[in-house]
Amino acid sequence: MTKKLDKSKAPLGSTLAAIGCALLQGLPNQVQAGELEKWDVDAAALIYSESDSRVQAAEPVISATRNFDSETKLNLKLVLDTLTGASPNGALPSDQPQTFTRPSGNGSYTTPAGELPLDDTFRDTRVAASADWSAPLSRDWLYSVGGHFSSEHDYLSMGTNASLSRYLNQKNTTLTLAGGASLDTISPEGGLPVGLSPMAVKGSTGFSSDFAASRSGSEDNKQVTDLLLGVTQVINRRTLMQFNYSLNLADGYLTDPYKLVSVLDQPGGTTQEYRYESRPDSRIKQALFGQVKYQLGSGDVADLSYRYQFDDWGLNSHTLEFKYRWDLGRHYLEPQVRWYTQSAVDFYQPYALESQVNAGLDEVTADYRLGDFDAWTLGIRYGYQVSATQEAYTRLSLYQQTTGDFSSATTPASGDDIPDTTAVMWILGYKF
Amino acid sequence: MASPCELLMALPQERKKQAEQLAHLAAKEVWRIEETYSRYRQDNLFAQLHRHPDQPQRVDAETARLLNFADQAWQLSEGLFDITSGVLRQVWTFDGSDRLPSPEAVKALLSQVGWDKLHWQSDAPTTEGEVGGGWLTLPTGMELDFGGLGKEYAADRALGLMMQQLEADQLPFSSQPGLLVNLGGDLACSGPADKGKPWRVGIESPAEDDQTSGVLEISCGGLATSGDSRRYLIHKGKRYSHLLDPRTGWPLEGAPRSVTVAAPSCVQSGLVASLALLQGSRARAFLQETGLKHWILE
Repeated sequence: MTKKLDKSKAPLGSTLAAIGCALLQGLPNQVQAGELEKWDVDAAALIYSESDSRVQAAEPVISATRNFDSETKLNLKLVLDTLTGASPNGALPSDQPQTFTRPSGNGSYTTPAGELPLDDTFRDTRVAASADWSAPLSRDWLYSVGGHFSSEHDYLSMGTNASLSRYLNQKNTTLTLAGGASLDTISPEGGLPVGLSPMAVKGSTGFSSDFAASRSGSEDNKQVTDLLLGVTQVINRRTLMQFNYSLNLADGYLTDPYKLVSVLDQPGGTTQEYRYESRPDSRIKQALFGQVKYQLGSGDVADLSYRYQFDDWGLNSHTLEFKYRWDLGRHYLEPQVRWYTQSAVDFYQPYALESQVNAGLDEVTADYRLGDFDAWTLGIRYGYQVSATQEAYTRLSLYQQTTGDFSSATTPASGDDIPDTTAVMWILGYKF
Repeated sequence: MASPCELLMALPQERKKQAEQLAHLAAKEVWRIEETYSRYRQDNLFAQLHRHPDQPQRVDAETARLLNFADQAWQLSEGLFDITSGVLRQVWTFDGSDRLPSPEAVKALLSQVGWDKLHWQSDAPTTEGEVGGGWLTLPTGMELDFGGLGKEYAADRALGLMMQQLEADQLPFSSQPGLLVNLGGDLACSGPADKGKPWRVGIESPAEDDQTSGVLEISCGGLATSGDSRRYLIHKGKRYSHLLDPRTGWPLEGAPRSVTVAAPSCVQSGLVASLALLQGSRARAFLQETGLKHWILE
């Protein structure tokens, strides 16, 4: 048989691929093992549950990355949040039952004596989507651009971000400059409360006019600008260090429209009324972050990080976190421990006094999340490598937040009257 | 193999022993291929195939795969890539001199050149695509030359065997090391040196008057260079490249001095680089058509 040239050729690329595979029959090769997966998908579901039937959240997340080459990629992420349950409304427990007007002005709810007032109308669904593109500009420069969108019935956020990285010392050093801007619109249920206006009492004769007087407009917005400077340094084959400085500027409506402050006749006295909280309309946050990752000879990875954050509201916080990834062949275990502590913002007090209100108090919050507290997170992550490109993982973490007594000459309070939070978080995910 | 070869492995010091085992495995495989297909030995499979011309001979599975590859490459290149063209070396010596062979001498050899002149019958592949062997009849005077793909094939094989060993060792998956086999500039690589850090490979510039060398980055796959600036003839001011057109027996004109191609495997890189050079002045257009990453030196 003589060979004849076959002129009806298949496309060059596909023919070449077929030839190469046949020649290396039976061997794993770099094509199978290392070829860049075009799509990397991470699908996960998160369940968050606070104790005492407070906030419960279920959150499916899907993140898909399209790899164009080792440095060029597009990431798309979609998150769906469903929140239910009750959340502390800011008021102090009392030895009398307390009745609160719902934020919408329609109806009310009553908290039994001695219990922490919780607003049980808390229910929301959030949809968030983001897209990020990153690619090299040249051998030593990398950039990224992205955008996000997130929507709930009373909150809308849209933003963009960009970053520029420069590699130095044969990519052992990376300098990063990143920035972001977002515009959020807040349109609370029942309209925007006037800061420090009294909560209209449902069923009272002047309710309609009182409620109207406590509202001004239906929506407001805030602008957030972020800036980050970072340096990542490869110390040696095992050690990687990272330092970041970040600046976050927020301007506009920064108050929580659903939070109240109890007004007492005297320190530790009796509740007289409730006022809506009021926060400043700008905030400048700064943070310093440092991280060391160390790979042991066994393949295990230890990861220690620390963050110090401070702002012009007077809140300082420290976060110390340690993770250790244990490599067990196709499995890994990663225990995690995090300690967090923060000092209260300057205008935080667990309650206000009538005398303060009469003297023209203009900024106050009793939101425990802006008060002093410490928190521990203990978690463990387990992963199983199903195949070279697929991984199943799960993570369980426990969060415990504790608040001490609030010592103050004007508004002292026992830690027992300030909400604590205990939560369980569980994630189940699959990467493919 | 008369060129420097190296193995690079991203393994920690503690796994030195494993690295040595892998290196041994890879080196053994490269030597095995060299010994089997070298045309400079009298005692190997290659010599045996040429000892019995004009008779059908049974060849083993590996040789069958190589011959099938050569056949497909010949088809794909419309007869330009031809592993029987090695005999032309009897009249062509690319030593930088001006000694051209006589047209008669070239013409006389052409009867011994041409893939279509030998008889090759591969066994039918199994459903898994495996070929068990085949029958080859080499006419008298014809010679096969695996030099054009042997080094690339050896690089892929060496890498493949090391990866197979690592898989068998059931290593912790996060510590699967990146491996790189470099056989005189033909590379096969299983993954980056470190997460996101490609291997940096120096490629010697083929221009003889240029002392600088280029540095290419490779994370995964194969890389091969075709072309050699030191092998040429200059006759009456005209430069003759060492690349011969098997159909005429004369050097191709207008081909770049060298072409480097990155493809999923080293054999593919090598084949595309050779095919590109064989396109002569169309090399650049051909490379663009393949969609593969490439570097051309005119």
